[in-house]
Amino acid sequence: MNYFQKMKGVTQSPPAVSLKEICWSWVGAFFGILPLAYLNHIHLEKTDVVMIIGSFGASAVLVYGAIRSPLAQPRNLIGGHILSALVGVTVYKLLAGQLWLAAPVAVATAIALMHATKTLHPPGGATALIAVIGSPKIHALGYLYAFVPVGAGAVIMLLVALLINNIPPHRRYPEFWL
Amino acid sequence: MSRNDKAQGQIDAGPMDLADDDILKAMQGISGYIDITPNDFKEIYNLAYTLAVDRLAHSIKARDVMTHDVVFVWADTSLNETADIMARKNVSGLPVLDANHELLGVISDKDFLTRLGGAGIRSFMHFLAQRLAGKVPVIADLSTERARDIMTAPAVTVTETTTVSEITRLFEERNINRVPVLDQSRRLAGIVTRADIVRTRGRR
Repeated sequence: MNYFQKMKGVTQSPPAVSLKEICWSWVGAFFGILPLAYLNHIHLEKTDVVMIIGSFGASAVLVYGAIRSPLAQPRNLIGGHILSALVGVTVYKLLAGQLWLAAPVAVATAIALMHATKTLHPPGGATALIAVIGSPKIHALGYLYAFVPVGAGAVIMLLVALLINNIPPHRRYPEFWL
Repeated sequence: MSRNDKAQGQIDAGPMDLADDDILKAMQGISGYIDITPNDFKEIYNLAYTLAVDRLAHSIKARDVMTHDVVFVWADTSLNETADIMARKNVSGLPVLDANHELLGVISDKDFLTRLGGAGIRSFMHFLAQRLAGKVPVIADLSTERARDIMTAPAVTVTETTTVSEITRLFEERNINRVPVLDQSRRLAGIVTRADIVRTRGRR
């Protein structure tokens, strides 16, 4: 297949999911994000601690909306977020003066590392990016960022996924742990 | 399963017959979002299928497919009788044993053609064409000759544990249609023909 023919695509979009699946995705995402948002905005409002970051919204799509996906499994959710956070913080520290360069280096390196460790989790790219382009509050966290909010948030989302995704008879989570 | 079973020949057609629609419907039948495209599935399926066929070919041994009641001739069986046996049993070749039941060689219709038409003869039609063109003599008198005189020896043989895939390769490489199977004491235990291989593939 030549270069331009490839751009036409070769196959069809997968089928739509059932209404049940849509509802359970909504319920999972609601209860997955709720504790993070609640902690962040009610309990930690006046502190330097952050509990919620944008990439958790992306994780919610996977761990509540595409729960069979290899990308949504615990290994990927936890490993992808924490490794990407470590990459993001490290790159920010090394290239703090050149944010235009730090941002792509952080995301690209995070993807490479997730691939290499079989922890590919798309929201990890956002987690690495946030470590670079995030608020001064995020930057002030240093490597703590990888544990709170990133590690802790991912663990809370995992717990909710285990509790909610296994309620309906037609759903199960996870497919594998490690 | 009988030799005429319908499954015969479907083994290689299987993966090709899978339509995108079949896959889409199957995916719909599984609850939850499956984040692969129908094409991903087809690629995985085809590769896995090839591997499975390969694995089966490696796990099936000569003893699983061979014919046990082997029709054979003795080394000093006359060619007339040999031809008669081959015609009656409807086989195109058979093993040649000595008085101690040890395998000496294999005799096939090709050996007869070579005897009649010379070393270059490739097939019956080749022989016939040569004969009609007057390039080879009228059918010779074979009544004084014995199986040992025209058999191919030593024969290519396999053991009971040789895999079907190895035998298939042997058929191709040596351009033969049957191979005697020897047991541990090197006695004739059976024979595997191309037809046996085809039957095996159909059975899966």
